Amino acid sequence: MRLPRLLRTASLRLAALYLLLFTASAVVLGAVVFWTTRAALDGQARARIQAEVASLRDEYQAGGLPRLIAAVEARGRGAGALDYLVQGAEGRRLAGEIAPLGQRRGWLRLDAAETDDGRGEHELVRALAVPFGEGIVVAVGDDFERIAEAEEAILRAFAWAIGLTLLLGVGGGAWLSHLFLRRVDAIGRVAEAIIEGDLARRVPVRGTGDDLDRLAATLNRMLDRIAILMESLRQVSNDIAHDLRTPLSRLGQRLEDARAHARSVADYERAVEGAAAEAEALLGTFAALLRIAEVEAGAQRAAFRWVDLSRLAETVADAFAPVAEDEGRALRAEIAPGVTVHGDQELLTQMLANLVENALRHTPPGSRVRVLLAEQASGDPASGPVLSVEDNGTGIPENERGRVLRRFHRLEQSRTTPGSGLGLSLVAAVAELHGARLGLEDAGPGLRVSLAFPAGHPGAVLSSANDA
Amino acid sequence: MKVLLIEDDRETASYVARGLRENGHVVDHAATGRDGLFLAADGGHDVLVVDRMLPGLDGLGLVRALRETGVKAPVLFLTALGGVGDRVKGLEAGGDDYLVKPFAFAELLARLNALARRPPLVEVQAVLRVADLEMDRLRRTVTRGGRRVELQAREFQLLEYLMRHAERVVTRTMLLEAVWDFHFDPRTNIVETHMSRLRAKLAQPGAPELIHTIRGAGYALRAPAQPTQAGGASAGRAPA
Repeated sequence: MRLPRLLRTASLRLAALYLLLFTASAVVLGAVVFWTTRAALDGQARARIQAEVASLRDEYQAGGLPRLIAAVEARGRGAGALDYLVQGAEGRRLAGEIAPLGQRRGWLRLDAAETDDGRGEHELVRALAVPFGEGIVVAVGDDFERIAEAEEAILRAFAWAIGLTLLLGVGGGAWLSHLFLRRVDAIGRVAEAIIEGDLARRVPVRGTGDDLDRLAATLNRMLDRIAILMESLRQVSNDIAHDLRTPLSRLGQRLEDARAHARSVADYERAVEGAAAEAEALLGTFAALLRIAEVEAGAQRAAFRWVDLSRLAETVADAFAPVAEDEGRALRAEIAPGVTVHGDQELLTQMLANLVENALRHTPPGSRVRVLLAEQASGDPASGPVLSVEDNGTGIPENERGRVLRRFHRLEQSRTTPGSGLGLSLVAAVAELHGARLGLEDAGPGLRVSLAFPAGHPGAVLSSANDA
Repeated sequence: MKVLLIEDDRETASYVARGLRENGHVVDHAATGRDGLFLAADGGHDVLVVDRMLPGLDGLGLVRALRETGVKAPVLFLTALGGVGDRVKGLEAGGDDYLVKPFAFAELLARLNALARRPPLVEVQAVLRVADLEMDRLRRTVTRGGRRVELQAREFQLLEYLMRHAERVVTRTMLLEAVWDFHFDPRTNIVETHMSRLRAKLAQPGAPELIHTIRGAGYALRAPAQPTQAGGASAGRAPA
């Protein structure tokens, strides 16, 4: 099964494609070399024949036919000599090895039968036949063999080159595929192990920074993220078990108790009222959990528009001010006008309401709560709007601040105050959705929860006028 | 009023239908989107209660189709989907109100009353009157028994909403949505607090209370002498 799998790998297919292209280009290169060499040899041969003809013409003009014949006979004797013909006025051969040509003139291609070097060798010959006047025709020919030999040498060289290329390509491709496959297999094995439940496994990174390494690093980051999500899911399950089981069992107990002990309609009514209230509180907790999950999923971002944060903060401060006053606290708002952020109006409203409710709930009577909105963080003109809720209550100890953002977490001392403990988790989720930095600071005394929004683009204020 | 209930869940449907009938309303019920479309096209309903998730034609598609065929009766969506985007989608499809399951029956009844009996002319009425209480919406003044009552902007909005829905029950949630644009349930008694301030400002020695608290439901602004309308102003009994 090893070989077919290797053949199916992407890298081998890629190698095969490269090999094909490379071979094709080698063939083209070979063809070009072949044709140019052949043309060059051909040109050389013709030039040699023409020079020979010119030299024979000189002999003829200097010494007439006898000198021509003598010259031809002398020249035709040497090894590697050209082939000649001196044809008389009657069409007879006077000298040379080429058979009489009759009326044919110019460049000719003569087959083997038309030459006779007297040694019984027959060869293919290219010849130039030129009339020298008075019926005399001289032809000089050269056999093709030299060119043919050169061609053969070139072809042989290229056959070797292409053969070696193919061999190297196939071998190298298979080898590279094998290397690649080994690393892919390693990633696959890690994935399998994770599927089997070993969540701590990570893809090996070789530190070379190549594509596979980058992929491995990305996969590892994804696995880290998944691990965090799993951890938070586990946390939520624990929290649900802890914080929802109690009211659920209380609900069950109430109903059990009513069934066992209720003696009058009034008893039943009381039990039902209590159970209904318990159920409503549970539903509220569920709604909050679902809302947080929805916000954390981030789908809401698609529906973002420009929100008039100033007006939103006014509305919330306005809504809670009488409540605060009735409970003996003071709620003040210091809100810069015309501040806008890109976001979800409903979620931002709920977030601010949660912050104000938290401040009102967790401060002693007589405390002062302030809702503050500034266009920029003080002393930083590049920053975005900052929304904060500040109180002068007891604050949160520094080492507790990170934990209060977690779902259901409530400080021990406030366990007795009502609430699901989900308020700040929702705040954190909404802040993250809006890319806002959530900070818990010491307001000396008291707590300041601040949200630093990212700076909007310059068109922010303009377009918000249309959206509002 | 005549209500068309389009809901596939039999338990929810019978709970809602029984409650509405006990409060003196006529209920038609369809269990699928297609049946609902058919019944609605017959017309004559004062208000439609439509489940968001129906087999076949879903709630959104159904309401879109109804609006295209010219059915103008107000629609209240019932849904188990509580997401922010879901409500917006429902309203965009042509729904008029949105209620997330599980809901209190009193909440549903109050909202249906508000939808079905929305007097068409109330939007242009400049002066609203209930008993000796008078609101001039243009000059933004309120008088009781001829005496000027000074209200803050939010209190004015609150009273305006109550007066526009006079003789009917409005719930806390309806007020939160209409007056503050809060689409969530704050755990603080915002409405109660504002309402008690408004009451205090409207109170006059010897004059009867106009804003009534309806236990388990909400509030109603009522003229003292006027007899209550069946179903309209009562809290609405939850079905047994």
